[in-house]
Amino acid sequence: MGDVKLAFIVQKPQYKGETSRLAITHAISYQTVEILLEDGETVTPTLCFMGEGVLGLQSGQNAMDLYGITSTETHVKNCLLVDLDVFVCKEDLAKYGISEDAMPDAEDMGADKKIQIVPFAEIQKVVEEAKHVLYF
Amino acid sequence: MKLGVFVSDYKLTSDTLDRIKAEKLGIILVANGVYHATTKEGGKASSLLDKTPNLYALSDDITIRGLKETDVDKRVKVVSYGDIVDLIFNEYDKTAWL
Amino acid sequence: MGTLTIGCFPGLVGNMSYDFAVKLADAAANKGHKVSIWFSGNATSSVKANQKHLKDYSTGEKHIKALLEKGVEICTCEACTVARGIKKDEGIPGVQWNAMHWYLAKIHAADRVLQIGGE
Repeated sequence: MGDVKLAFIVQKPQYKGETSRLAITHAISYQTVEILLEDGETVTPTLCFMGEGVLGLQSGQNAMDLYGITSTETHVKNCLLVDLDVFVCKEDLAKYGISEDAMPDAEDMGADKKIQIVPFAEIQKVVEEAKHVLYF
Repeated sequence: MKLGVFVSDYKLTSDTLDRIKAEKLGIILVANGVYHATTKEGGKASSLLDKTPNLYALSDDITIRGLKETDVDKRVKVVSYGDIVDLIFNEYDKTAWL
Repeated sequence: MGTLTIGCFPGLVGNMSYDFAVKLADAAANKGHKVSIWFSGNATSSVKANQKHLKDYSTGEKHIKALLEKGVEICTCEACTVARGIKKDEGIPGVQWNAMHWYLAKIHAADRVLQIGGE
């Protein structure tokens, strides 16, 4: 079956519910899925944030000190460290007045990937090209 | 793509459904989503019913709410769980739960 | 016949999306499809054995056992489950415990996937 492309679409904000966090951690688990698959089989997720899902991505989060939990920022940085494509909807950032510069970066941790701020049309393309879509 | 979207709430807080584009879009109303099929607000049917001709509502979720199939908008087909399984496998290649 | 993988994240009591997930799985299994269910988030509380089925409350155990009998594979996210204070020996027999990559592996092989989010 080879590689299976998946679209993880996060449209709910972070922190009140755990859905958004679970989307991120499930996407990251693509790193280890090979132990359960046949040789040569892989899963390639693209993690996309749209709608209210873009609300809680800004850097400078303090979740560990305040609530004793890993922050969304840390989870997103981990995504970049494991070479996941992370797309954030450009139109929705603009709609909510969130600066593109506020997005976290993991370059100082050695990540090659950066968050990609993309038009919604790119997210639509991810949905169309994926074999399965998972909305969170 | 052929996308079957499950709508489980009456008040939609996201505009995802407005933004999704599919060659064939199906909307499957379940849980509180069935109110889109049965309820008029200010005399007007839900605008969700204008989004696609492929509309379905789960019979169990209509009945449990004390509603009748005669309350269901004519554009919506009342389906069982078994019918939904068939829709998932035969009519749509991807599904989304909103 | 095909393969259906369901990701079920909503909690057992207090959200009838869980009830929908198990009933859909049942309907698919009855039609001869191969079904797997992944529990994560609040749904993982449903794998604790010895639930008391009170009529005011949805139950998971009864449905889970019936689905296992029909050959449905059910797996709970180990991290989510232990975070909720449930130990492996307290779980419903037959329910697997694994990490999130179990879900992705099932998705890899599935013809259809339905991800039912939490809240």
